[in-house]
Amino acid sequence: MLRLEEYENIIEKCSHCSYCQSTCPSFLAEQSEAFVAKNRLLLIRETVMHDRMPYSSRAQEILDYCLLCTNCTQTCSSKLPIDDIIIAARSKARQKGGGIKQFVMSKMLTQRGLAGVLGKAGSIAQKIGVATKEIPQLAGRSFDKMYSGTYSPAGEVKKRVAYFVGCGTNFIFPDTGEAVVKVLNHNGMEVIIPPGQVCCGIPSLGEGDLESARAMVETNIKLFAGLKVDAIVTDCTSCGMMFKEKAARCFADDDPLQEQIVAVTSKMWEVTDYLQNEGLTIQPGKLDIKWSYHVPCHRGWSPTVKDAPRKLLGQIPEAELRELEHPELCCGGAGTYFMSHREQAEKIREQRLEEINNTKANAVLTQCPVCRFYIGFKVKDREVTHPITILARAYGL
Amino acid sequence: MQGLIKDLNGLLSPAQVLSQPEEMLAYANDATHYFKSRIPDAVVLPHTTDEVSKVMQYAFTKEIPVTPRGAGSGLAGGCTPVNGGIVMDLKRLNHIQEVDRNNMTARVEAGVVLKRFQDQLEPLKLFYPPDPQSASVCTIGGNVATRAGGPRGVKYGTTGNYVTGLEVVLPDGSIINPGGKFVKQSVGYDITRLMTGSEGTLGVITGVNLRLLPLPEANRTIVVVCETLEQAAEIVAEIIARGAIPGMIEFLIKLAITVMNNFFSPPLPTDGEGYLFMYFDGTESQVEYEAKVVTGICHDMKAKEVRRIDDPKAAQAYWTARANVYPLIQTIFQRATTEDITVPRNKLPDLVRTVQTIAAEEGVMIGLAGHAGDGNMHPSVLFSQVTPEILAKAEVAIDRLTRAGLELGGTISGEHGIGIHKAKYLAWELGDIQIELMKRIKQAFDPKNIMNPGKIWMEGGGDHA
Ligand SMILES: Cc1cc2nc3c(=O)[nH]c(=O)nc-3n(C[C@H](O)[C@H](O)[C@H](O)COP(=O)(O)OP(=O)(O)OC[C@H]3O[C@@H](n4cnc5c(N)ncnc54)[C@H](O)[C@@H]3O)c2cc1C
Ligand code: SF4
Ligand code: SF4
Repeated sequence: MLRLEEYENIIEKCSHCSYCQSTCPSFLAEQSEAFVAKNRLLLIRETVMHDRMPYSSRAQEILDYCLLCTNCTQTCSSKLPIDDIIIAARSKARQKGGGIKQFVMSKMLTQRGLAGVLGKAGSIAQKIGVATKEIPQLAGRSFDKMYSGTYSPAGEVKKRVAYFVGCGTNFIFPDTGEAVVKVLNHNGMEVIIPPGQVCCGIPSLGEGDLESARAMVETNIKLFAGLKVDAIVTDCTSCGMMFKEKAARCFADDDPLQEQIVAVTSKMWEVTDYLQNEGLTIQPGKLDIKWSYHVPCHRGWSPTVKDAPRKLLGQIPEAELRELEHPELCCGGAGTYFMSHREQAEKIREQRLEEINNTKANAVLTQCPVCRFYIGFKVKDREVTHPITILARAYGL
Repeated sequence: MQGLIKDLNGLLSPAQVLSQPEEMLAYANDATHYFKSRIPDAVVLPHTTDEVSKVMQYAFTKEIPVTPRGAGSGLAGGCTPVNGGIVMDLKRLNHIQEVDRNNMTARVEAGVVLKRFQDQLEPLKLFYPPDPQSASVCTIGGNVATRAGGPRGVKYGTTGNYVTGLEVVLPDGSIINPGGKFVKQSVGYDITRLMTGSEGTLGVITGVNLRLLPLPEANRTIVVVCETLEQAAEIVAEIIARGAIPGMIEFLIKLAITVMNNFFSPPLPTDGEGYLFMYFDGTESQVEYEAKVVTGICHDMKAKEVRRIDDPKAAQAYWTARANVYPLIQTIFQRATTEDITVPRNKLPDLVRTVQTIAAEEGVMIGLAGHAGDGNMHPSVLFSQVTPEILAKAEVAIDRLTRAGLELGGTISGEHGIGIHKAKYLAWELGDIQIELMKRIKQAFDPKNIMNPGKIWMEGGGDHA
């Protein structure tokens, strides 16, 4: 249920080994232990959990500097669900009255999801007192205006696949969505895009707005649960994580929706992961491209998702992978973080950009639309896109 | 400490000075968080040796205690400020200044994270062996200050064996450069070595010269399942006695294996009591030969299972699991402490038996893991519940363990250092004369006793719980 009380004993299991220091981007950028996962847990325990310290503006700031990137959760030697604890703490703090920042942000999120926020980034930024020039351009026509319903392959239908279209693809990068449909069709898979999908809910969850997140999960789960399909794919690793790891946690264990959640999430895949697992039925043609791979932070929900693009595009003759020094480094984008915490986000992005520049590649690929946008805003000498679009190109689609 | 923050803000930029309670929380403990929190008055985050020196000059004039801190991963409470004052966080001194392939040496700033350094060496086919299991976070300065080691100690020694020179800021702010890039030196007292293991009590280490080795070309991992703990200890003693030198020999109990088992497949059988993780490195023919000899010894001594893992990637999973044992164990108990006893290696079987006897007699649960190859064991008191009664029993058990280690010809700490938590045992090992001598050395370096006071020896029988 992501209620803070559930984590009282769990939080005590932190051994203070500091291992989370090795991957927490907010710590790595600040180099101050105040900003590491371990201290966030301590702060939560002392403030919102036990009221032994006031939930001061500094405490809120330290919790808000967290990108909910899950790197700590993936690294934690004690396997603590650190990001869930932070979400639960934000939610508790909200009940006690969150700041204007949180209010504006979650209102926008409830109305139109991530794209709502991105589309209105300018005016939001003004309202919450941050100036960011880096605002994504919304696509002229959103993906759902172009694609909806069932798309069948030319020949025999080998698999039926439902497609959950995240906000990033729908409003900013519809080219990813087109590539998903075409590549799946090309491999003999029928694609079903049910109308009425809403934001996966992860941006609201990040704001501690559990109520809105629950409403979105419920809408999406009900939409997909009844479909007779072999798999459900998403092109976005964060949407995938929301379905696979967070959806069930938004509701009580005995909530009637849980059964449907399992039905949906057990079929959920990131699209390159799915294709790699199924195997391509048609070999791609050659493509002269040197690409590096920025692995999105929200990768922990599938053990194979981070290797899928490597293996899949590895089948394209002449395409060459130029690994980044640290492929799994956070880029700082993190949903709406790059707007709400511009300075911190830019600091985090610095090393990512440096490593990208150090590879003599002509494309940076990543399965997260926010990473794509946030890296792409600064990287102008090469293409920044989703791996599926490269596969589509290799197929000549 | 009136005016402290204002003064520090004058010396450094305000972003380098922390003082709010929400920030101090992060600096009140090291990995021994179950002991008392010690809240600093301020934390400084210098970027350069000069900034360190400025703060030290100021603290010296005002007689304010300064406690150096690396990653805060220590297991002796060493970086916690017993008397408050300034905590000096050295993580921003994080430049790898030089890697000299021809001389096989390197120069790093004290805050460089060990693993980051080792990762940079690998593509150059260079090797820096010291391997505290906290490598992903601990700093090289912290390693030098605690003389840290790890599984590789058996073949390659510990941090102290690789330090050839230092840059140190003394308590009055002056900067010295003992030792250097050369690999040997015979000039007066060896201040480099004295600083190595000084736990922040003599000065602030800001730069470190290190000696490097060529990266071994091949390796093998062998895991041995033993019927009893004694059998595992006897196998280790026999391997050493026969002159084989594995790169690592780690000793683990069944409990550790149960928490590690989801790291590798197939999982290890849990019907043994003692387990050995061994690693061989060197040339291809050498590792193959050594692995064969040691496998032979294990079979001769009737080990239950000897598993060879030749694929380095698969082997890595076993070693990653090993690095996570201590924190993982903590998830199943309310508390798990760790000791650091080191005995001559032929005494390992005796130590293992003694640990079991003490546990039974005192009615506490004691886990055992350690770098058995170099005789360094980490008995760990495991608390299902923390009650005053159990704490009292645990204290008696740890006292007895420590005594037993010394009686076997060992030492109270192989690699973690004394800090606060082992201070009470210092006299047992060193005796009054050595302690007095150490105190006079401390006095010579730090006449005002501002450098990490309250560490290594007990001050006025202080509250060290
Ligand atoms: C899970 C886990 C596993 C561990 N495994 C091992 C192991 O296998 N082997 C081992 O030896 N240790 C191990 N440790 C202990 C610890 O990681 C080491 O002692 C390490 O050397 C501490 O480095 P640090 O940077 O965290 O130093 P800190 O903990 O910050 O400080 C340790 C001491 O050094 C002093 N100090 C730090 N930096 C400086 C400096 N620049 N100048 C002067 N003094 C300084 C501090 O004042 C303090 O007394 C482990 C710890 C954990 C949590
Ligand atoms: S979620 Fe990311 S930013 Fe937040 S504490 Fe964990 S690692 Fe740090
Ligand atoms: S890695 Fe996990 S157990 Fe270790 S300090 Fe961080 S949160 Fe605590």
